[in-house]
Amino acid sequence: MTAQTTTMSAGPGSERVGTLARKLSNESFITLFMVGVLAVLFAVACLFVPNFWLPRNVVNLLTNYWYLIILGIGVTFLLITGNFDMSVGGNVALTGVVCAWCAQAASGSPNPLANGPGLPYGLSVAAALACAVGVGAVNAFFIVRLKVPSIIVTLGTMMLSRGLAQVITRGAQRNTSLPDVFGVVGNTFLPGTSLKVAVLIMVLLVAVAFVLEKGTVAGRRTYLIGANAEAARLSGVKVGRHIASLYLLSGLLAGITGILLASEFKAGVSSRATGYEFDALVICLLGGVSISGGFGSVLGMFVGAILLSVVTSSATGLLLSPDWQFTLKGLVTFLAILAQRFALDRRST
Amino acid sequence: MDRIDNVLEIRGLVKDFSSVRAVNDVSFDIRRNTVHCLVGENGAGKSTLIKILTGALQRTAGRVLLNGKDYAPRGPREAKQKGISTLFQELNVVDQLTVAENLTLGMEDTTLGFLRRTDKINRMVSVMNSLEPSIRPHQRVSTLSVAQKQIVEIAKAVAAEADVLIMDEPTAAISEGEIARLFAIVKALRHKNVTVIYISHRLDEIFELGDVVTVMRDGRHIATRPVAEVKDRSELIRMMIGKTVFEGYEARESGKKDVVLEVKNLANHKLKDVSFEVRQGEIVGFYGLVGAGKTELARAIYGADPYRGEVTFRGKKLPPRPDKVIAAGIALVPEERRSQGLFTILTVRGNVPVMNMAKISRRGFIDAAAERRVTLEAVERLRIATSSTEKETAKLSGGNQQKVVFAKCLFADADLLMLDEPTRGIDVGAKSEIYGIIRKLSREGKSILVFSSELPEIVNLCDTVHLLYDGELKATLENGRGVDSQRIMHVVTGGL
Amino acid sequence: MSIASGETMAAHLERAAALRATIKRLYIYVVLLLIVLLFSVARLGEVEPFGPGHFLSPDSVVNMLRIAAPILTLSGAFTLLMISGYIDLSVGSAMSFSAVVFALMIRGGVPFALAFPLTAAMGCALGAANGLLVMRLRITPVIATLVTLNVFKGSALLIVPSGLSAIKSIPGRAMPAWINDYARAEVLFGLPWAFYVAVGVILALVVVQRRTLVGKYAAAIGGNRTAAELSGIGAVRWVWGLYVLVGLCAALAGTARASYMSIGDPLSGDGMELDCIIAVLLGGTAFSGGEGSVAKTVVGALIIVCVTTGLMTVIPAFWQTFAKGAVLIGAVALNYLLVREPARC
Repeated sequence: MTAQTTTMSAGPGSERVGTLARKLSNESFITLFMVGVLAVLFAVACLFVPNFWLPRNVVNLLTNYWYLIILGIGVTFLLITGNFDMSVGGNVALTGVVCAWCAQAASGSPNPLANGPGLPYGLSVAAALACAVGVGAVNAFFIVRLKVPSIIVTLGTMMLSRGLAQVITRGAQRNTSLPDVFGVVGNTFLPGTSLKVAVLIMVLLVAVAFVLEKGTVAGRRTYLIGANAEAARLSGVKVGRHIASLYLLSGLLAGITGILLASEFKAGVSSRATGYEFDALVICLLGGVSISGGFGSVLGMFVGAILLSVVTSSATGLLLSPDWQFTLKGLVTFLAILAQRFALDRRST
Repeated sequence: MDRIDNVLEIRGLVKDFSSVRAVNDVSFDIRRNTVHCLVGENGAGKSTLIKILTGALQRTAGRVLLNGKDYAPRGPREAKQKGISTLFQELNVVDQLTVAENLTLGMEDTTLGFLRRTDKINRMVSVMNSLEPSIRPHQRVSTLSVAQKQIVEIAKAVAAEADVLIMDEPTAAISEGEIARLFAIVKALRHKNVTVIYISHRLDEIFELGDVVTVMRDGRHIATRPVAEVKDRSELIRMMIGKTVFEGYEARESGKKDVVLEVKNLANHKLKDVSFEVRQGEIVGFYGLVGAGKTELARAIYGADPYRGEVTFRGKKLPPRPDKVIAAGIALVPEERRSQGLFTILTVRGNVPVMNMAKISRRGFIDAAAERRVTLEAVERLRIATSSTEKETAKLSGGNQQKVVFAKCLFADADLLMLDEPTRGIDVGAKSEIYGIIRKLSREGKSILVFSSELPEIVNLCDTVHLLYDGELKATLENGRGVDSQRIMHVVTGGL
Repeated sequence: MSIASGETMAAHLERAAALRATIKRLYIYVVLLLIVLLFSVARLGEVEPFGPGHFLSPDSVVNMLRIAAPILTLSGAFTLLMISGYIDLSVGSAMSFSAVVFALMIRGGVPFALAFPLTAAMGCALGAANGLLVMRLRITPVIATLVTLNVFKGSALLIVPSGLSAIKSIPGRAMPAWINDYARAEVLFGLPWAFYVAVGVILALVVVQRRTLVGKYAAAIGGNRTAAELSGIGAVRWVWGLYVLVGLCAALAGTARASYMSIGDPLSGDGMELDCIIAVLLGGTAFSGGEGSVAKTVVGALIIVCVTTGLMTVIPAFWQTFAKGAVLIGAVALNYLLVREPARC
């Protein structure tokens, strides 16, 4: 057999191009596939749910899971490398609580939940973010250093962080004696719109994450590790250090979310963000991020979030009780996994 | 019971892989209750033949008869059921269970699910005892040495009443003392109604253990003879390598260049006190057969595995970390391209620049145009046959995949390249292209270390050849001065 | 450990290995003992030893064992599954779902003798569903069981009519008082049937793990799946069976919980999977499978029960989650130190 030496030429005619779909990478294909699913679901929802198609509702669909999307950035990167982070929910709660507590002034009230060190808001935010990254550091230590499976470690840190939040708030919340500036960033709307600043932050973070993912060396490393960790190591990638930094990043993002939510509700609540860790995982899976490695994008995760939004909003619109959420999320995730697998199988034959 | 003399009869066996004929019309018989040795160089077709017997591969043409009946197992489990057990290098024991539990795995006697200690089990344990009394049946297998684990597997095959036990390079991973014990056991198997097919390149073992020896070369059957009729190692070696024509070695201008790489007393679990030097622009070869320690040496220098000893490159001591070694100017083309060298789900463009991303990025941001350009350049330079840089490397042929790995390492701008089995499994055309690339790099001043088990490759390319056997550097030859392939084979098969 | 004079290196290593093995075998009993001692002396200033209010008073011990019935029932099967190298995060929700269904049946007039086996059968079905997702459809166990966690939990919540928090007595339909009997009525030494069922399950699973094919094959599949398959052991079949077993035990646990609380609470099993993981880690089961011990996991479960009930007397309730998280991380560290084989060069 002679090696076929087709030299590359610039002209389009010399390439045997199949359909457009064949030129796409598997990842783009799946993202487009899920956009298609989203379009179909949206159309169906419009038929059955009153007022679903109104622009006001569409804007809601795109923005109401802003907090899951921010968390989803960290979870996406970790999932690509084959790791879980179930601590994000607890981390969000902890951050909000720490921020609130630090900012609480010493009001002299006998209620311990109404007193705090009274630090300036900026310092409170810094302290809260430090806690958030600290949780990420604990994760990194056990997962990278001690090589403990990430699911077990992050379930543990989930309990630790939420538990700490409960301790600081005695199981309730801290919402008194807070400076006015505390509620600013979470309740400011962009001029002329009904969009909160948090949504803008979300969009910025996703954009930055996308650029990082596709356009930087650091982002490329995530994919290399996910595709083949041993080959990555032999190619000079510091695998352990990179995964550790991803856990720190995930912690930081949880921190940002916690601060925004605490500001929005003007309280540090220990039960905040319950279940967010699973929801973040769901939107990643809906968006085609694969745990078997090397595959997935924050853009896909974003599409997954909108998909989830359509499903849950339709349920609410159809006056289903909120108890439907759990079953729906489970079923939708399951169907998405099967559908994606089916689509990819059909593609390679 | 009337059993025929030949437990296995191989008739006109052929195995093709796309364009390569790995087994070419091989026919010979294996007599019952003998130790039948199979020898041949790398690429001779031994492993392919064995894989057909164990059901891991399906034959293209020809027949195999087991006990007179047609034998064509669809998989390893069926092969085992039909009576052919195999002792692989990756041990198939469960470390966390005891010896007795491993022996009876899948063959337990139970009452309502409860494990019973029946006569069958006692019999198995007594087989174990007869083979090796020092292994206690209630020991956890994890506490056993590799040699002992091998013995447990052998006992299991015997207890399962296997007709044939295939042993593939069993002594590669065990010590001298353990080898003697293993031999005693193998010899005893003849009296337990087991025929042993013994594959090894350590020719002394053939003479000590074997009743019959079959030599293969280039996929063909060369000879099958009683060991007693083979005069000595040299005769075997002659049959194994035939007439090796050494063309292509271009003697190069002398003039001692500087030493760039110094390896001093390198040792780890496999290597024993290896020391050598490499000069700039040299192509240095490391030749040895399976288990000699070539890959371990390459990986140790690269920092991929821990070691004792010192490696100095251009005057600086190298730390045992791949990222630091790459930064110092060394790149490795690993032994297994699919699992270690390539990112198979990524495209050609996703693979090529990986080891030197700084070159196509500015302050951390990848320059997409530069990325495309360097990939195109690599594709043209190495003549990688692909319709597009966006093709998934998993879909490329073996030769082209290897070229991608080469391109990746070349892009690292390394001054010293280590190539581990650089042309394994690729066709003749791609092979000679790669040799051309290697020579060109050497002329450009790069130093190259080639680790290979293909003798013609080593002798055609390398200025200096180090011979490895059992983790030790046994001999060093300068090429161009009447290199004697006989002598080389002698050394790498354990001779002195 | 230092080398004794005159001792060879080999002998020293053997002594070190033997010591390590002994520590591995016994540490968990030591830990349990220490914790019991700790809580026994904690409030000695206020209460009489073994008197009312003391950690080891008869009332307290009986209460702890009654509460422990669910985790004791569940942790054995969970251990077997982890030995085979697989995990089930949906056990808590399966337990809640079973509690709800059981309470519904009891309130609907179904006699115990029928409701009990029906719930158990349903538990098997839940486990079979998990097995289907993990073994047949080959979805990663963590993701598959997180999905079923939500489906089971959601289904349990949906069965309970909105407006109510659980299946309990409503106007026109009262929950019969005897629902309590199974988990509270004193049968022997002040302990109820549910406890003895748990003991029975534990004893059965200890025997299964040590003496039957199931236990051996679980270890073989977890230890070296290739070797197991080559020996004719079909991993898909056996692990599927283990998932069914876990589902069954979850149903038994749910029945006990519903009986104890007299209601079918769809959130009653929340967090049980974390308790199981902690018990399994404390008991020395390796993360990757291949080895483990039902007996030691049960001791681990007792430790958890002691810690949670003991802590309740010493610290306010809002410290519970943090304490549990600390125990989990501590168990991880302990497991790492004791179970991992040291690496060689």
